[in-house]
Amino acid sequence: MNVVPVYISAGISGFESPAAEYKELGLSLDDLLIEHPDATFVGIAQGDSMEKIGIFSGDALIVDRSLKAKHLDVIVANYNGTFVCKILDLKNRSLLSASPKHNPVNISETDIFQIEGVVPYSIRVLQTNMRLISCMP
Amino acid sequence: MYALADITGAYAAMEKVFDASIRFRSVCVLSNNDGCVVAICPMAKKIGVPKFEPYFKIKYFLQKHDVVVRSSNYELYQSISDKMMRVIARFADNHYVYSIDESFLHFDNYKRIIDDWHQYGHVIRRTVWKETRMPIGVGFGPTLTLAKAANHAAKKLDGFDGVAVIDSEPARKAILSRMACDDVWGIGSRLAKRLSLLGVNSALDLANQPPKQMRKHFSVNVERTINELNSIRCLEWDEVKQAKKEIFSTRSVGKRITQKYDLRFALTSHVAIVVRKSRRQGSLIKRISAFAASSPHDDSFFTRSQVYEFPVATSDISVVAAAVLVMLDELYQSGINYYRCGVGAIQLESGEHIQSDLFLKSPDNMKLMDCYDSINKRFGNGSLQLASEGFEKKWSMRRELLSPRYTTAWHHLPKIYC
Repeated sequence: MNVVPVYISAGISGFESPAAEYKELGLSLDDLLIEHPDATFVGIAQGDSMEKIGIFSGDALIVDRSLKAKHLDVIVANYNGTFVCKILDLKNRSLLSASPKHNPVNISETDIFQIEGVVPYSIRVLQTNMRLISCMP
Repeated sequence: MYALADITGAYAAMEKVFDASIRFRSVCVLSNNDGCVVAICPMAKKIGVPKFEPYFKIKYFLQKHDVVVRSSNYELYQSISDKMMRVIARFADNHYVYSIDESFLHFDNYKRIIDDWHQYGHVIRRTVWKETRMPIGVGFGPTLTLAKAANHAAKKLDGFDGVAVIDSEPARKAILSRMACDDVWGIGSRLAKRLSLLGVNSALDLANQPPKQMRKHFSVNVERTINELNSIRCLEWDEVKQAKKEIFSTRSVGKRITQKYDLRFALTSHVAIVVRKSRRQGSLIKRISAFAASSPHDDSFFTRSQVYEFPVATSDISVVAAAVLVMLDELYQSGINYYRCGVGAIQLESGEHIQSDLFLKSPDNMKLMDCYDSINKRFGNGSLQLASEGFEKKWSMRRELLSPRYTTAWHHLPKIYC
């Protein structure tokens, strides 16, 4: 939802700004990164298996549940009771990592597996953010 | 056509959204202060977890069956509910949120677009599940009461898979004949007992009663319910959402209160809630009651209550809070370990037609209250508060089994393993 800001005025005014007519809403990161706000949540990445595609431990992941997961999409899934972020290999029914240290994981019949959503964007956290760091172990 | 969509085991389902480890486990959620079980998931229902049973009584049973127990995480529930309601609202041009987990949809002139309501109901269910992970039941009917009945059928009757539609005479009869009277919206268990004396047992029996006569025996509400059950529209949103005639805020405290000023803090915090709710529905408070009590399980049970009448009905928090100060002297006695207290607006007047009194001017500071409302609306309840509400709130609700606020606090974001 877009909110048009209306500023308080005290009734005393000088000359109106010549740019007043041209005022636009400021840029919002939500607007850029979240296409389906009601189907989207944010999670925090833990671990190093996705570093080759630029997801590092402590980064913020934007997860959109309304998108249909396609072959080789970066997804979040419930894999045996934990949320994992992996690359979905639909052809081989497996989860791929983006790191030479981690092998592909095959999804078998006995596994609990639910796709939670697609990760259209991740936010690389370069500086220490006190609010985000407090959700790290 | 109307539809009623609601969540199955709402709070329990909401606990499962961001905790993948409990998706396939039995979950129950406790009420305020971890008092009793208020929500269970279908798995917990299957193993026989009883609802509304005090937690301490069934603690062992829950442990034995490995049931996940959670305190009520209202911050999380409201956030999930808001999102879910917006998803549901996409499916009709008229949407009305009835409670945190129930909403009505109204379809006007949809006949040309939708030929199969059953299928449409499943589209709604699937979408809500996919986007918000909420399991919902959907019932369609030509009146609000029938939509509610169809919703009941969708979830409780065999042969339905989460969607039920009353769009024909046979469908209406089939569903109503399998429902008891007190499953009908607006028919309480006491009324149902009286009806059963007349041989009216099923919802269909009730629908077949002569409405005019039933009005004489019972009330105009029963007449309207009967008409609604016969596909005659009597209820509209606005009537469903009636202004409350009484507003209460009471709670047992997390930690016993022994000091007078702590009792004042607690009571004034209840005042803030009551005033906020009555202001929201545009009511003025004419009379309030306040009570304070120890626990009935204590050796000597102590309880006192007081009523205060305002000369002019008010909606000013400082005026109501001042009344608490008057009552406090009667409610407080040193040596008592207070366990429960609360405040209730027991007589409300409509703010629309205020009787102005020539000699009694309202002491309300309207401008200040408008400002107070808008600050708290913008920055969240409690941003601006009375000092007499206290700031520590150590007496506040006990929630020992609380899950994180995954969607409303940055430091509670769910962890995703890479």
